[in-house]
Amino acid sequence: MTLSYVPGDSLAHRLDSRSKLLVQVGFAAAAYAYTTPRGLALLTLVAGGCLWAAGGGARDLWGYRFALPVLLVAPIVAGATLGDPWFRVGRAGDTALASYRVAVVLVVAAAYVRSTPVRDSRAAIRRVVPGRAGVFLGVGVALVFRFLPLVRHDLLAARTAIGARGGGERPVRERIRLVATAGLSRAFARADRLGIALSARCFAWNPTLPRLAFGRADAPALALGSGLLAAAAAAIV
Amino acid sequence: MSTRTESVDLVGDEAAVNLARAALFAALVGAFAYVSFPNPVSPVSVTLQVLGVFLAGIYLGPLWGPIALVLYVAAGALGAPVFEGASAGVGVLVGQSAGYLWSYPLAAGVVGAVVHRSTTLRDPASAGLATLVGAMVLGTVVIYAAGVAGLVVVLSLGPVEAVTVGAVAFLPAEGLKIAAAVGIVRSDAIAAA
Repeated sequence: MTLSYVPGDSLAHRLDSRSKLLVQVGFAAAAYAYTTPRGLALLTLVAGGCLWAAGGGARDLWGYRFALPVLLVAPIVAGATLGDPWFRVGRAGDTALASYRVAVVLVVAAAYVRSTPVRDSRAAIRRVVPGRAGVFLGVGVALVFRFLPLVRHDLLAARTAIGARGGGERPVRERIRLVATAGLSRAFARADRLGIALSARCFAWNPTLPRLAFGRADAPALALGSGLLAAAAAAIV
Repeated sequence: MSTRTESVDLVGDEAAVNLARAALFAALVGAFAYVSFPNPVSPVSVTLQVLGVFLAGIYLGPLWGPIALVLYVAAGALGAPVFEGASAGVGVLVGQSAGYLWSYPLAAGVVGAVVHRSTTLRDPASAGLATLVGAMVLGTVVIYAAGVAGLVVVLSLGPVEAVTVGAVAFLPAEGLKIAAAVGIVRSDAIAAA
């Protein structure tokens, strides 16, 4: 199952997307500043709380299973040495803490992804990144969300078609070339049509965006985010 | 009831087409994460995001290539399932693959700069084989240097350990992608620039 936005009415769904971004940034900073067993134990509770507030559960974390092999292997590689003592527990422990830190940061990210629709993310970018860069980034990100399923379907269709014509017999390099060529030419065709459509429909630098407003529920989230950032800053200074 | 009027500040046609191409390219790089191939020389299967980075530099050039990859990274951070294994979120950008992801725009810029030599695009097929391969080898070096540096910082590994975890199993497949990219450019199937 892929991690994605799930419509809902949880606490996190009602928050402003900017508060949720602040919590994520603060959390990541705190996780890097306090990579100790005690610090990470506390942050695990915070991360679990975030996911719970977004109405999520263990199923949402399944989307990050591809991160697991590296996170599990890294402590073993870090601990192993050629020659006596063969395995340094201290080094492995440091890397295990670092791996765990990555895992808890991913939990908080899952809570954001689950509870924030694209429109809100786009509006947040527009307000956080100033000027035309923000408009550009916002529109671009929204278009990526819109076109990802189509482009993905193009690629998978091309691969199926190549397979059906005995493409499995060809060398891997050749198969990669065929699939990528099909994907690329279709993506360019879509882009040209989209470019014309954007111009035809008065694509503007000042579009109307959904209103974002901080509500009462945002106060604790903003406090949590800034508190985490302040704690991280305190540890560094 | 009051009414409000605002003038509309239109985006130029060229910028609109370039934005559309950058966004579609970002979506293509994301979609490449879903297509995996068996790797003949390593047990780790090959996904094609890095090929997308090369192609962004080759077809969009040193300015719009990096912009496409910035869109890719930003969309992934905000929840589009475009990262490895269809994952997403800000957490991935500070996780174990942080170095690789942050390096993509830079690598696309390097590939584009070597192939086109300026911000005006030329037909990539007119670039020599050595230029194409050299550009992509340089791009690979940028991606893996940043990726390994990211592992050192994020997972507290030593440099040799980071290379063991993050490069040895994946590097051989990059040769396949470079060969495939050369094949695409030379096949005349794509007429973009």
